[in-house]
Amino acid sequence: MSTQERNFRILRGGGPSGSPAEFQSYSLELNEHATVLDALEWIRVEQAPDLMYRHSCHHGSCGTCGMTVNGKPKLACLTKVEDLAAGDIKLEPLVGMEPLGDLAVSPVPLMSAYPANSGYIRESEVNKDAARPEVVDRFERFENCIECGLCMAACPVGDEFQGPAVLAALNRELAKTPERRAEILHAAGRPDGVYRCERALECSRVCPTAVYPAKHIMELRKELEKESGAE
Amino acid sequence: MKKYHVVVIGGGGTGAAIAYDLVKRGFNATVLDRGELTSGTTGRHHGQLHCGARYAVGDREIARECMEETNTLRKIASESLESNYGLFVALNDEDEAFAPTFINACLESGIPAEKVPRKQALLMEPKLSEKIGTVVQVPDGTIDAWRLPLQFFAGAQQGGAVIRPFCPVTGIDIEGGRAVAVRIRDLIQRQDERIEADLIVNATGAWAPQITKFAGIDIPITPAPGTMLAVRKRLCNMVISHLHPSGDGDIIVPQRGLSIIGTTQYKTDDPDDIKVPREDVDFLYRCADEMVPEFSKQPFHAAWIAARPLAGKSESIEDGRGLSRDFVCVNHGEHDDVQGLMSVIGGKATVLRAMAEKTVDAVCHELGVQEPCTTTETPLPSHRQYYRKGAK
Repeated sequence: MSTQERNFRILRGGGPSGSPAEFQSYSLELNEHATVLDALEWIRVEQAPDLMYRHSCHHGSCGTCGMTVNGKPKLACLTKVEDLAAGDIKLEPLVGMEPLGDLAVSPVPLMSAYPANSGYIRESEVNKDAARPEVVDRFERFENCIECGLCMAACPVGDEFQGPAVLAALNRELAKTPERRAEILHAAGRPDGVYRCERALECSRVCPTAVYPAKHIMELRKELEKESGAE
Repeated sequence: MKKYHVVVIGGGGTGAAIAYDLVKRGFNATVLDRGELTSGTTGRHHGQLHCGARYAVGDREIARECMEETNTLRKIASESLESNYGLFVALNDEDEAFAPTFINACLESGIPAEKVPRKQALLMEPKLSEKIGTVVQVPDGTIDAWRLPLQFFAGAQQGGAVIRPFCPVTGIDIEGGRAVAVRIRDLIQRQDERIEADLIVNATGAWAPQITKFAGIDIPITPAPGTMLAVRKRLCNMVISHLHPSGDGDIIVPQRGLSIIGTTQYKTDDPDDIKVPREDVDFLYRCADEMVPEFSKQPFHAAWIAARPLAGKSESIEDGRGLSRDFVCVNHGEHDDVQGLMSVIGGKATVLRAMAEKTVDAVCHELGVQEPCTTTETPLPSHRQYYRKGAK
């Protein structure tokens, strides 16, 4: 197995402690399979025991390890170091969250923006016509969105925007609970809603789980247009 | 009643459920984790909601508990579960010979195992291998390994628990043979702190000896890492398991748009020093293809490793497969002459609530509190509630 030495420049400090944020360098040998999260784990164990970063599932399902890798929002666990350009790798906390220090952030701004009563389960799209156990009404699965906030970080629209993740969740709610149509479209059509979208499509580009938030925003716009046409 | 303060060390699934149970029974609770919540073993869990079928032949009681807890979680945390049942599939003559024993053991454990005609199984899961023989349907499912604990944390927080990630423990103060306080380094505030406790619960899993060491206690735990492999396509809706006595690479868990095969098992001394052995990846692909032949043709998504905590010392464990996955609550006041400190060891994600119930029963007994457990009925708050503005 081939290994290569790589240098990480990690923004340390910052957050509520008021300690100044500054880059620190860490070098280590990595094999061709190593992800940015693997690298962070080994840096913490071998060089920086107090390094703060978020992680949980290590396979792109929890959405906790979003960070800025060489200026782009990415999940550390799904980003292979080998795929990053040669030279130093720069790691900074994810934009749009509350910084806690080092690479750790609190997702309070994102989680608070989600519609309060939206569910997390949907019907599975796989083998839809398949037979089922008698006791299972429908095959179900979790929503694609892992609430990582990469789309919010990549979106060029500034403040006063609910943002791609939340609007995508609204459109999913519309599909699942059509009886809430009026309430959902009202939320989507607010001044901080779908009309603030500039169609830059950055959200869909960075989404690690193929939610395609931009598509959901377009669909919501169409639904809103239908409503205004009907008046 | 005096409002006792219990400090729980370890913010994994067990710590989450213990904190929730504590506040429901009227305790003050603080949870500490050295890093993000569920960043040790819990979050990297394979994601199987175990109805107990896998354990039934070896241990009916554990299987029965898994079944009960599966039903309870479906009641209180349905948003963190894909409840699609599972199929155990026989792949060879040995499996066929094992099938009747397996079905009997399930039924004796209260698990509604049901033989499904082969043709019907292929209608339920068209990607299954044509070579399957006997198929048994059981009430397995999929857990979101991050959001299920988060629902418990949200419930705990709602009840007043203080949950502090990024606060590694640096010491335990012992006075007159009793653990009275935990010393931490708050990495967020960059300050040291001393937290007084009426009782300390060590729920750090594979890291438990690192905590008891602060109280001069050595507890026998062997970290047993195992590898999981995910491909980027949901090939099935039900959990697919190899119908044989427990082994490596014998369970495919679907989750969102992924299919995840696991696992393997080693033993190690340091739960922080684990790396995916590359031979595991090839091995897991082969195992998955036996059950679902298209598995290895899908795009690679991720391979990762998690350190289970097995009760027992490394030298007395072969590969750990034979060891019970049961859970033990050790009161160090009875075993090691340090009062006010307990360690919870072992266990499985599916039974996190039951582990918490037994632990908090022991806490109540120790502190002379008589409050029954009430965590089986009320649905937990949404996982998002934990992070909502003003939730703290």
